[in-house]
Amino acid sequence: MKKTFKNIETILNKSLNGIETFIQSHPKVNFLFGALFEATDGLIRSTKDTAKNPPYIRRGMDAKQYMGGILTALFFGWVVPAIYFYGFMCVVPKLIVSFVVGVFIIDVIWVILAREERINEGGFVTCLFIPAFLPPQAPLWLIGVGAGISILFRNILGGVGHNLVNPALFGRLLLTICFPTMVVSGWQEPSTGIPTIKSLMYGVDAVTHATPLMAFKETGKTASFLSLMFGANTGSLGETCRIALIITGIWLCVKRIANWRIPVAYLGSVFVLSAIFSLMVGKTAAPPIFQLLSGGLIFAAFFMATDPITTTYSQAGKWIFGIGCGLITVVIRNFTSIPEGIMYAILLMNLLSVPIQTIILKIKYRT
Amino acid sequence: MTKKAYKKGFNLIETYPVKFAKTIVFVKHNGPAVNYSFSFPDKKVEHIIVNLCPTEPWALPNRAILRNRTHDFLNKLETVREEYFPDSHCHVVVNHQESNLINELNQYKAGTDRIYPSTKEEYLHLHTMEPVYPYDAPVLIVKNILGLDIAFGQNTIEHSILLLDPQDVTGIFEHYIKKSEFNTRLIPISGTGLKDNKILKVKPGTPIKSMLELYVRTDIKYRVFLDGLLNGTEVKDLNQKINWSTKNIVVIEERDYKTPFHYIRTKELHFTTSLMGELRCCVYCNFCDDICPVNLEPALYWHCYDRGEKHKAHLYALEKCIECGLCSFTCPSKLELLQVIRECKLLK
Ligand code: SF4
Ligand code: SF4
Repeated sequence: MKKTFKNIETILNKSLNGIETFIQSHPKVNFLFGALFEATDGLIRSTKDTAKNPPYIRRGMDAKQYMGGILTALFFGWVVPAIYFYGFMCVVPKLIVSFVVGVFIIDVIWVILAREERINEGGFVTCLFIPAFLPPQAPLWLIGVGAGISILFRNILGGVGHNLVNPALFGRLLLTICFPTMVVSGWQEPSTGIPTIKSLMYGVDAVTHATPLMAFKETGKTASFLSLMFGANTGSLGETCRIALIITGIWLCVKRIANWRIPVAYLGSVFVLSAIFSLMVGKTAAPPIFQLLSGGLIFAAFFMATDPITTTYSQAGKWIFGIGCGLITVVIRNFTSIPEGIMYAILLMNLLSVPIQTIILKIKYRT
Repeated sequence: MTKKAYKKGFNLIETYPVKFAKTIVFVKHNGPAVNYSFSFPDKKVEHIIVNLCPTEPWALPNRAILRNRTHDFLNKLETVREEYFPDSHCHVVVNHQESNLINELNQYKAGTDRIYPSTKEEYLHLHTMEPVYPYDAPVLIVKNILGLDIAFGQNTIEHSILLLDPQDVTGIFEHYIKKSEFNTRLIPISGTGLKDNKILKVKPGTPIKSMLELYVRTDIKYRVFLDGLLNGTEVKDLNQKINWSTKNIVVIEERDYKTPFHYIRTKELHFTTSLMGELRCCVYCNFCDDICPVNLEPALYWHCYDRGEKHKAHLYALEKCIECGLCSFTCPSKLELLQVIRECKLLK
């Protein structure tokens, strides 16, 4: 077993080396496919770069593992539960469309056109977000458009490390503007109980329902917390099974890929502020625990707001960022006609993080 | 006794365990050797700090210095103090986990057979420390033991503090007090480029080549580094001779080719020169400021540098950086933060 593996590896290594020399010795081929090869090769083999400056050893963690951690967390946080609740045929085609359009079409074309060195794994993360915050019955083309816009937008701003706002949320914002009805309809009742092969494949028969947050706006009724926690409720594809999201989110924080300050500040401020608001205005404001467990709040707090590039770099700034997100979310949810304010909250705070960072630095270093 | 004036840092010893062979090997050298000399400070010394707690795995382990005769070593230290630095306080720093050594030291302190018993007040002090890199850097060790702030690169003598290498304690004792011959230094050699990790007894003046030739692996490419991998220097010419301040030599494998499926074979890349990833943009992951022992935010310097505004890096307390190299070590985007910091520092 080990030997065959070794053989396969040697052959693979040799052929990749062969392709590499071929590409590099033919300028025209290199111009078109060099970057593409580098990108694919980067997924299979390590780099040959060695440390030229001190320190001469480096820690094993690299950007790929960093993104890999997020991908794993997202996979167990929403893909697996979503397959259980809505069926394989509902989730997987969406993922395929999202990846194909986002990574394999837009990113690859961009790599060839813009001569970027490589396809960034960040694209996979963005594309994994897109289906998660759209309704289970969203058409496939909508997902494709969303993924395309997001990746294009991210690449235009300069790729991972340069984006100003979370590209996935920006894509979602454009979808909300262009197709306002599409993104808020098509909710589906999740299948619960012991899964059958049929429910795992197709989910239960589509019943269109409003989400708990919308229902609250209309009727003032809150759903049961337990059903909210475990996902037996309507909502976007990826945001319903909160317990899985919380577990994977905490795992990310422990691995220090996500900064724990943001979810703590975000969820904490939502809780405190909505408690204050419901004391002040009474029944029209949703009660705190319901606020925490409804909508995409958990998903956003652990996975979207923590996107490190679009928050502030300073640790103190992260608290402000999280609290700001919480404040805007609660205000939008309670005092406007929009049921869900998370997208706007995070996008706005993404933009505000630039001045927050500047101010923090001024206070920290110049007084 | 452990008071912590700083935090963070990184436990290199756990991550890169290095085991040295028990025996110390003498390296023959017939060429010219350099005689031992210690440059005594011209200022009065108030505190002597002797660090017996190495924080780097490739540093000389203290058992090679003490050789189970802690008592002798302390005797020498007291004699040196009495002869050259009277009225000073001696601070001995040991690893907080080595309870045997701590016991021995305490027994020695309480014992009645000291040659120079403390008359007025105790001058021999025992301190414990976690073996976390870079807690033994001058700035941090002085801060931790004496609570004093010294600047990076400043000679500690200006604050009347002498940081004494344990080997120099023996050196001063043998050479200046006993007037006996003292012409060898213990140099640990280790790393993935060697067949065996050894502690060598070498005459300064010996070329590095003749020290290593018996031990290097011939089947791989390797690179040789002096005084640690994090902020040491690379040895380009193996004819370079070691001197009385050489601390250690590390030889590690040069992994300058691609390894397939590296994510399931990280062991092979571990402890080699491989970057373990590719150069990227900063992803603002906060790893660098989490690890920085003096609480700086190294990514800020990189951002200044990246925008071409090196001079602005000085706004963010750049001068506090002790150049330990941990930020570059940990950066998942493999940015050359230490290099950037040094370049920015040049631009005064
Ligand atoms: S460790 Fe590297 S990538 Fe992370 S914040 Fe610091 S400089 Fe940026
Ligand atoms: S900024 Fe300086 S002190 Fe801090 S980790 Fe980097 S090199 Fe070390």
